[in-house]
Amino acid sequence: MAKIVVRDVCKRFAAGSRHGTEIEALDHVSLEIADQEIVCLVGPSGCGKSTLLNMLAGFDAPTHGEVRVGDVEVRGAGPDRIVVFQTPALFPWMTVRDNIAFGPRKRGVAVRQCLDDAARYMLAMGLDGFAGHYPYQLSGGMRQRVQIASALVNRPEVLLMDEPFVALDFQTRLAMQELLLQIWDEFHPTIFFITHDVEEAVFLADRLYVMTRRPGRIRDEIAVHFPKPRTFGIVTTPTFVAIKERVLYLIREELTASQTRGSIPERSRS
Amino acid sequence: MAVVTRPLRRPWVSGDVLVSTVTVLVILMAWTVATTVFRVSPFVLPSPRAMGDEMTVLLEAGYAGKPLYVHVAASLFRSLTGLVAGIALAVPVGLAMGYNRTVSAALVPIFGFFRPIPPIAFIPLMILWFGIGELSKILLIFAASFNYTVLNSAAGMRAVPEQLIRKGRNLGLTRWQLFTSVMLPAAMPHVFTGIKTSTAVSWAIVVAAELIAAQEGLGFIIQDAGTFFRITDVFFGIIIIGLIGVSLELAISFIERRTLHWQGK
Repeated sequence: MAKIVVRDVCKRFAAGSRHGTEIEALDHVSLEIADQEIVCLVGPSGCGKSTLLNMLAGFDAPTHGEVRVGDVEVRGAGPDRIVVFQTPALFPWMTVRDNIAFGPRKRGVAVRQCLDDAARYMLAMGLDGFAGHYPYQLSGGMRQRVQIASALVNRPEVLLMDEPFVALDFQTRLAMQELLLQIWDEFHPTIFFITHDVEEAVFLADRLYVMTRRPGRIRDEIAVHFPKPRTFGIVTTPTFVAIKERVLYLIREELTASQTRGSIPERSRS
Repeated sequence: MAVVTRPLRRPWVSGDVLVSTVTVLVILMAWTVATTVFRVSPFVLPSPRAMGDEMTVLLEAGYAGKPLYVHVAASLFRSLTGLVAGIALAVPVGLAMGYNRTVSAALVPIFGFFRPIPPIAFIPLMILWFGIGELSKILLIFAASFNYTVLNSAAGMRAVPEQLIRKGRNLGLTRWQLFTSVMLPAAMPHVFTGIKTSTAVSWAIVVAAELIAAQEGLGFIIQDAGTFFRITDVFFGIIIIGLIGVSLELAISFIERRTLHWQGK
């Protein structure tokens, strides 16, 4: 049974100061994500990927259509769908430890348990020794790892990740991708993962969707049949390369189409 | 291996403090030179030596039959009572205004109208309504300090980053938890800016209020001494007011650095 259902969703925003002007962000988007599935969404920037994630999180409501998670219509934010934001959302007045333990603590989990869990995820994220530091004392990459730990510690049924690794350096990003799959193996969350890094998408996803330029529509859907746990060895296999090529081709077509606006799209070499 | 780092402690005496000390010394020297070498009239500028002599008199005999500490205490009492009451009311009202647009819309015309009016303009009305006792002075200070903290508290509430509110909602916080654990601490830097301004203003106003009708206080000393051409005492009043003002500001800044260190400034 599908864990996440997006049915015929449109989203329009009021744009600019002129009354009545609207931007169409999403145009009749439908997709489904099975329980415990990892689905990546790739597409050109500004195509409405984050808009879709915000509606799944309950920060925003669709103009038309329906968003359901766990067979319940989304009507607001909640800890069953934990978001990892693109930029580190941390409380600057709390230490690393308190930031990570904050969610469970506020929901009434025992202090002891919260601190143990926080310590465990700090270790996993390479943050041991920084428990007492404040966010301003950390580098951007470290802050993002704190945020990821503060999301995972909630062990949510659904993880909504909005380009979470984009600000990390290359090595850390690879490590985080493998780590995410390890953590998936631990409690099998359903993961909706937005990225514009095609290799990252193919490496993580069980299935991936490619979106068109704005207004965002689903351009294509591609299944990735590598068994989990995956390691970085797979990225050079012919199957991986073929999928990557296919996705790059689709995105490139979208980009050139948006640049030439209506003229005949240039053929990709691949 | 994780590297454990510790935030750097600032040294007690920094280069800035040294430069500031030099400024003070230069002013004292210029003062001495003006009164001894250039023989400026003691009715214009009393010499440091005359000030020193007068200080002994003031400390021993007090002013106008009352010991010096009574005057200082009177001014501090008026200022701090008005200030604390003003802040105590302004923070919740300001936060409510920042949190709720209707509350803000309802109160903005009142505070917006009174803010640009110098508090001293209300002195005659205050005396007319509440007499020349303590109440009128304290109310004046209360109103002035309320004005600045309410403005900044409201601004602080409005400036809470949307992302932090989303994060709080996402973690399943109740409205009350969101307010107390996310919005309130996030608004604190602005609130503190308001408190600092209010403190400075309340001290400035108390002196002005005492110029009008008071039997003790630092403003009274200045006014009274001026009337009787006791220029040394006028200067003393000014210096004490300045020193206490600086101390209040340092105390508030110290509390701010302690509680809001996480801003990383």
